[in-house]
Amino acid sequence: MTRVVVVGNGMVGSRFVEDLLGQPGTDRFEVTVLGAEEYEPYNRVLLSEVVAGAVDVASLTLPRTDLPGVSVRPGTVATTIDRVARTVTGADGSRTPYDVLVLATGARARVPEITGLTGDAPTGSAALPAGVHALRTLDDAREIVAATVNARRAVVLGAGVLGLEAACGLARRGLHVTVVHGGEHLMDRQLDGAGAGAVVHGLQRLGIDHVTGAVTDEVLLADGRLRGLRLRGAHGEVELATDLLVLTAGTLPETGLAVRAGLEVRRGIVVGADGATADPAVHAIGDCAEPPEGSTGLIAQGWDQARRLASRLATVGAPAPTATAPTRQAPPDAPHGTDVVRLKAHGLEVVTMGVRGDATDADGARVVRLSDPSVGRHVELVVADGVLVGATCVGAGALAADLTTAYARRTPVPADPGQLLLRPVRGAAAAAGPEPSPTLMPDRTTVCRCNGVTKGDLVACWRHGARSVEAVTRETRATTGCGGCTEAVCGIVDWLRRTDPPAAVPGTGGDAALPVAAATPPATALDGSSQPAPALPGGRR
Amino acid sequence: MTSTASHCPYCALQCAMTLGAPDDAARAVGAPVAVTGRQLPTNRGGLCQKGWTSAQVLRAPDRLTTPLLRGQDGELHPATWDEALDLVAGRLLGLQAEHGPGSVAVFGGGGLTNEKAYALGKFARVVLRTPFIDYNGRFCMASAAAGANRAFGVDRGLPFPLADLGGAQAVLLLGSNLAETMPPSSAHLARARAEGGLLVVDPRHSATAALADDDKGMHLQAVPGTDLVVLLALLHVVWAEGLADTSYLDERTTGADDVRRSVAAWWPERAEAVCGVPASDLRHAARLLAAASPLHGGAGAYILTGRGAEQSTQGTATVTAAINLALALGLPGRPGSGYGAITGQGNGQGGREHGQKSDQLPGYRRIDDPAARAHVAGVWGVDPDDLPGPGVPAVELLRRLGTPQGPRALLVHGCNLVVSAPDADAVRRRLAALDLLVVCDVVPSETALLADVVLPVTQWAEEEGTMTSLEGRVLRRRRALAPPAGVRSELEILHDLAQRLGVTRGFPTDPAVVFDELARASAGGPADYSGLSHARLDAVEAAGQDPADQDDATRGGLFWPVPARPAGQPAHPGTPRLFTRTFPTSDGRARMVAVDHHGPHDDLRPDAPVYLITGRVLQHYQSGAQTRRVPALAAAQPEPYAEIHPLLADRLGVADGEMVEITSARATALAVAHVTPSARPDAVFMPFHWSGVGSANRLTSDATDPVSGMPDFKVCAVDVRAATPGPASPRVPHRSERDEREVVRR
Repeated sequence: MTRVVVVGNGMVGSRFVEDLLGQPGTDRFEVTVLGAEEYEPYNRVLLSEVVAGAVDVASLTLPRTDLPGVSVRPGTVATTIDRVARTVTGADGSRTPYDVLVLATGARARVPEITGLTGDAPTGSAALPAGVHALRTLDDAREIVAATVNARRAVVLGAGVLGLEAACGLARRGLHVTVVHGGEHLMDRQLDGAGAGAVVHGLQRLGIDHVTGAVTDEVLLADGRLRGLRLRGAHGEVELATDLLVLTAGTLPETGLAVRAGLEVRRGIVVGADGATADPAVHAIGDCAEPPEGSTGLIAQGWDQARRLASRLATVGAPAPTATAPTRQAPPDAPHGTDVVRLKAHGLEVVTMGVRGDATDADGARVVRLSDPSVGRHVELVVADGVLVGATCVGAGALAADLTTAYARRTPVPADPGQLLLRPVRGAAAAAGPEPSPTLMPDRTTVCRCNGVTKGDLVACWRHGARSVEAVTRETRATTGCGGCTEAVCGIVDWLRRTDPPAAVPGTGGDAALPVAAATPPATALDGSSQPAPALPGGRR
Repeated sequence: MTSTASHCPYCALQCAMTLGAPDDAARAVGAPVAVTGRQLPTNRGGLCQKGWTSAQVLRAPDRLTTPLLRGQDGELHPATWDEALDLVAGRLLGLQAEHGPGSVAVFGGGGLTNEKAYALGKFARVVLRTPFIDYNGRFCMASAAAGANRAFGVDRGLPFPLADLGGAQAVLLLGSNLAETMPPSSAHLARARAEGGLLVVDPRHSATAALADDDKGMHLQAVPGTDLVVLLALLHVVWAEGLADTSYLDERTTGADDVRRSVAAWWPERAEAVCGVPASDLRHAARLLAAASPLHGGAGAYILTGRGAEQSTQGTATVTAAINLALALGLPGRPGSGYGAITGQGNGQGGREHGQKSDQLPGYRRIDDPAARAHVAGVWGVDPDDLPGPGVPAVELLRRLGTPQGPRALLVHGCNLVVSAPDADAVRRRLAALDLLVVCDVVPSETALLADVVLPVTQWAEEEGTMTSLEGRVLRRRRALAPPAGVRSELEILHDLAQRLGVTRGFPTDPAVVFDELARASAGGPADYSGLSHARLDAVEAAGQDPADQDDATRGGLFWPVPARPAGQPAHPGTPRLFTRTFPTSDGRARMVAVDHHGPHDDLRPDAPVYLITGRVLQHYQSGAQTRRVPALAAAQPEPYAEIHPLLADRLGVADGEMVEITSARATALAVAHVTPSARPDAVFMPFHWSGVGSANRLTSDATDPVSGMPDFKVCAVDVRAATPGPASPRVPHRSERDEREVVRR
């Protein structure tokens, strides 16, 4: 048996366990999970949706990790690692031996150093003044929701992804929200000035105020309770009164355990592309890790690391596959498409991925931009070697979904990437007019799909003497499949009746009428549509 | 000639039609009978172009009317029936004597009548004693069957009458282009469209997706191979927004908690990045469905899957997710709501019930269930221990053909494998490696032309039997005219071969007699036909002509299960609607099973950056062996083509009507480009009805679903480029020229 110990039962740790046990032949693993929180693993990404009141908290619960072959110890904080003896010691005094150790300790909210805040709060809001909350844990989200009941005004400190989501969520609950951001513009990690300008428009539409380039000097308290912030910005010092302060100023990887174990830690726990630290028995995945390409703080990256580590562990020392059937094409090992940032905010659409136009140094890269911040729209594509390598979409609607899939799958982009940006307004195609009238409809237009009947067929049938919908239907079988074309066929027969009345044909029948028909030959318009010709009299067939 | 009430030879809708004496129009095209639509609640008198022209296949110019044997010169030559059957029997006996029973395999079809499917399965187990029988339903319904059996304990494509859809406020269609593949069925979507509730998930803006245009509903144009992600996101929204029918889940299901947890990770924004459907559309779709569900006071909602969602290495998972969504909304078993799979082939439902599946005995029994073996062996008069065990699913069976340990002879019935199987060039190689290939067919199909022995058989209007439609309604196929001289029914062929192989009893040639035995064999099984006979079906159908005080949706038919009742009791009325009170699982509850998305087996890579998706067109049916022989259908859809989005065409420098080369890891195909915005820019679509250089299935992957054995027909990775002019690319007229020709011909 291989003893695998996972420290952390959050989104990445629990996914790793799921992935590991999903591999074939993993009954040789004995897995222990140590989780600091008492809760079952839950979807942290959706906490801002909890704040917004858009989701049921129960729907956040992730799949069980207490599966056969797994021992889960919730509420067990790991305190030390003995890398020589290969054991993990818990705060409860327990010692768990491992062959493979996986650190998935995640990150905690960064509490900015501001007068009035008591520095580093190790587990969420516990040490923060009343009215001030981080947004990292389910408890945080619940407390914020509880606080909104008696709050009218809220300040969100930090206008990154989480900050904007929280701001929109609080606004959705009817609070007057101000976003305070130290950087030059909103979401400056992802957006340039123009993109941020488009976001500003979106915030204004939602009635959310914002202050950028502002230093927060002090969190003002009264009787230990929040009453406002003192800011210093371009316009000097201001005081901003508020009932609720949400801290969304980034995260800090939880690395204390690794530091104490003598593992290399920079911002996060340093690992190679394979997720292993310098000690080959110890791995780190998710927000606590610092892989060669850097940590994005996005769940897609952590899940990708979990999947790759699980598949690597399952392969190492596993018997060679014996299946004759072709095996699944291995996904490319280099992570790709895991850096898509998608704001989940009610009323604000922001999606970014890959490189930004002003940051690309790729040879021959093309940057195409459609930017109109005044209406809240900003779209930028970066194309290199015929594939999309970056995109920014603010207020771009469905286009963002198309660009994301093109980016993640590296599908070919059009010869002129600008074509991706040009979308007709919904209904623009029909702007030329309503349904084409029978007169303008080309002869080869299929009217009845089920029976392959074109307008030309219906006209020919009329000319051959069918003078009613029933007769046309009998001859051509139009309308006899799904019946969806009945209205169209009736319309064409009506049109023929109006424009081609039998009475218009002089003569009493037989070939006597033919000279008349010859005198007014069937006209064919340039577009291929036919004008009804005088009918051959006598219903000749 | 009196008129005969029968059904269309093609798809599972089995439109009712009347076959009468040929009129002028029939005579003008050489058809021996005149076809008219007949009222049934499913087709309501309607037929599509295939149905209207179906009689022409009876007089296909190259109709087979004599057995053919491959001679020393390598060519097929006419032979007498005795010569042909003697040769087949002799070779089978020889191979089995030398290599054992497993050296002979049988491949059936979902177009065979119930009687033929039953007889074929019995022939394989009792006469050949081989475990190796499977059928082309594995390419069609296997994932739906596996998903439904696991969740509901039974697999009847639609567990309700089709016409019930007519009352629904919302219908979610995944991977079904029914407006083209079974056109008269789309009339039942009228109400959902009027309510803005038709939701179509398809990578193409297909004819069916177009039914949702103009605010009739929504088209969710997902990336190929991501239907499952759409479903997981819809499930996520249902739970996240508190829309689930929790009391239904508590009372009628198990596993809901696992499923709820599994979809916690599929919030709409994440799903959007994978499936390409905007998160707001996913939320909107989920709310529309929920609003239509009984819990929220709606008029009813249905969730239906088709091959687009099922023909995938995660087909069973996708069906399972669709069922999970239906259960979460409390739909199955509720009046006016439910989940169903839209069966494809004419007898795709009956074909999967009577024992031509590798793991199955008649009555939808499992061949590894001792009680099932004992029951069926009793009906067959054999020792249960003499019945072979489970064989292998179709793709695996094809892979083994002609290999050192694999079967050396193959009998093919009702299937044109080299056009319809995935990785068709490989299938061709496996067939070539056989010692003996025997094909029963009505025309010299591409597969028949590879055979050592070709046996000409009867077709639909020349024979009696039963077909079970997509809604589990057992229908009578009736004989309207005598078959051409020299043609025999497969029941006769199996009888004659059995005799020559030493089994002198148990293979009657009268379909009514075969049906009676089938009914007994099915008694007590999930698909119980024991209360049915040809005579009873005829009587019920006759009574159904009088619509007085009958439930409109069920009129004129009997839906299985129809168990036999003891003498003196009224006959069982059939079961139009399943699950109204309980599910046929061990505890009476539906099983919810958590599933996850893994993506297609053959996914995009730098040298194959575009998806290929495959499907059908209205004018052709499956491998096209029948429809390509009908001039009007062949004229309307004359050749293989590939739908390409204008943006992709522009990048490739390809204009509408020009030839393109499409290359997968398996082959290169040539097709005419149809440049159309209905495609996604990252996917080309090819219909699969043709053989030769334009054959779509030469490109498709034979990777299979781990549960159902269903191959991944619908998605593979390809490179697309303008065809290099050369002898390999015959000049094909530009589309506008074809249209002109078309008009002139009409």
